Amino acid sequence: MKNAKMHLSTETMNLGFVKKVEALSGSSVRRCFQCGKCSAGCPMRSFMEHPPNRIVRLLQLGQWERVLAGRSIWYCASCETCSTRCPNKVDLAAIMDALRKLSWDAAGPSKESYVQLANRLFMENIRTYGRQYEMRLAAVFNMKSGQFLKDLMLGPKLITKGKLKMFHAKNQNVGEIERIFSRIEEMRKKGEAP
Amino acid sequence: MSPNRKFALSYSYYPGCSLHASAKEYDVSTKGVFNALRIGLKEVPDWFCCGATPAHNVDELLSLALCAKNLSLAGKVEGDLAVACAACFSRLKTTQHRLKENDIKRKQVETAIDGPVPLGKKVKHLLEILAKDFGLDKLEGAVQKPLTGLKIACYYGCLLTRPPEVPELDDCEAPTIMENVIKAVGGEPVAWSHRLECCGANFTLSRPGVILKLSNEILASAKDAGADCIMVACPLCHGNLDIRQEEIEQATGRRYGMPVFYITQLVGLACGVSPLRLGLESMIVSPAALLREKNLL
Ligand code: SF4
Ligand code: SF4
Repeated sequence: MKNAKMHLSTETMNLGFVKKVEALSGSSVRRCFQCGKCSAGCPMRSFMEHPPNRIVRLLQLGQWERVLAGRSIWYCASCETCSTRCPNKVDLAAIMDALRKLSWDAAGPSKESYVQLANRLFMENIRTYGRQYEMRLAAVFNMKSGQFLKDLMLGPKLITKGKLKMFHAKNQNVGEIERIFSRIEEMRKKGEAP
Repeated sequence: MSPNRKFALSYSYYPGCSLHASAKEYDVSTKGVFNALRIGLKEVPDWFCCGATPAHNVDELLSLALCAKNLSLAGKVEGDLAVACAACFSRLKTTQHRLKENDIKRKQVETAIDGPVPLGKKVKHLLEILAKDFGLDKLEGAVQKPLTGLKIACYYGCLLTRPPEVPELDDCEAPTIMENVIKAVGGEPVAWSHRLECCGANFTLSRPGVILKLSNEILASAKDAGADCIMVACPLCHGNLDIRQEEIEQATGRRYGMPVFYITQLVGLACGVSPLRLGLESMIVSPAALLREKNLL
């Protein structure tokens, strides 16, 4: 693919995907003129195989599969530097959210599984308990990712400092939270929400 | 009569999940400072998680709906909504900003929470309350023990200033609000390069390697600028710079020994709040030696 000759046309551009991203993110993809300012300020650049400006370019050229298959979108820290600095008001941080959602919904062809696992557990915690309990989150994450010894030294330190709660009260709003989740699922089933 | 009436300024309060666990000293010191300055604070009953970064990362509608519901819970408590965590603050304000601009999303969210979204409830970060509502002059007047000689690297991180139309707090590339607060309480803000860089935030669970790199650069930059300590206004920044500092030192071989304070701890110290009500003992990198050296303890 790297050396393939590229022909630009509305077909190869795959405008459909671009429009989907634009609708989800509320930001233009097409307005980008590749100045590179986003990537110059991106703190996560060194962890990404495609820097932010190239992600936009790949989208413009219809090569979204390469974007979704990579790990770059999962390594974006949502720091908002790119969106703040873009001279064309391309909201790249929102575009990253949209791309992750599309990848997530498609059960993700992406290589980056740890970030996705952490995200999933975080959301499950909200649905079940209403709030985040860091100790539970870390313990389940380590178990599910098979990294049993990860951050082993942090635990006792945090417990001595009273920073990890062992017990927690149930939030009075868990019922309402569950209804929010299920109403959204319902809306999606009916095609009323993205 | 609400318990807050006796104060000239009073707020509803959304602490966020971290402040009830790993960042409890931020919660304790916020209450300590507000009490000392006679600012009322009433916690929103049964608030729940705003969804933070993970929710908006993969599901914007869910993220907006969780925040909208919290805003409507907050609507039942009088006063503007005081938020301590920079991430919660950003999510709650982003929700109002997006839903004001986008009727389609607003209708979806209203269906999801089965009610209206209180777009008018003012959401304010503590920094804004101290510097603007209470005011720098009055803050200066409340100082009992100025932080003389304490060199402080004020660290904003990402979400207190970016993207500028959301927090509406200060200039997005050259803010001064933290430094102004520190000057008002007699401390010495240092000039340094990494005030607005990202600490790695959310990757602390999934990819700690990211934290080791980004937070190390922040610690190194503060140290090189001659700072004695760092001041933050976000529990995620604090976790990465304080809780993971020893690990960063081991990985890089450079010793920082850099206490990381919450803004409310330093302001509280200057305004005569007892150290016991500031949660100083919960900090992983102990500030005791530094504070003793500067005659602040
Ligand atoms: S800063 Fe904006 S215009 Fe420049 S490359 Fe990035 S997205 Fe494109
Ligand atoms: S929001 Fe993501 S892509 Fe943009 S600068 Fe920050 S880490 Fe990079």
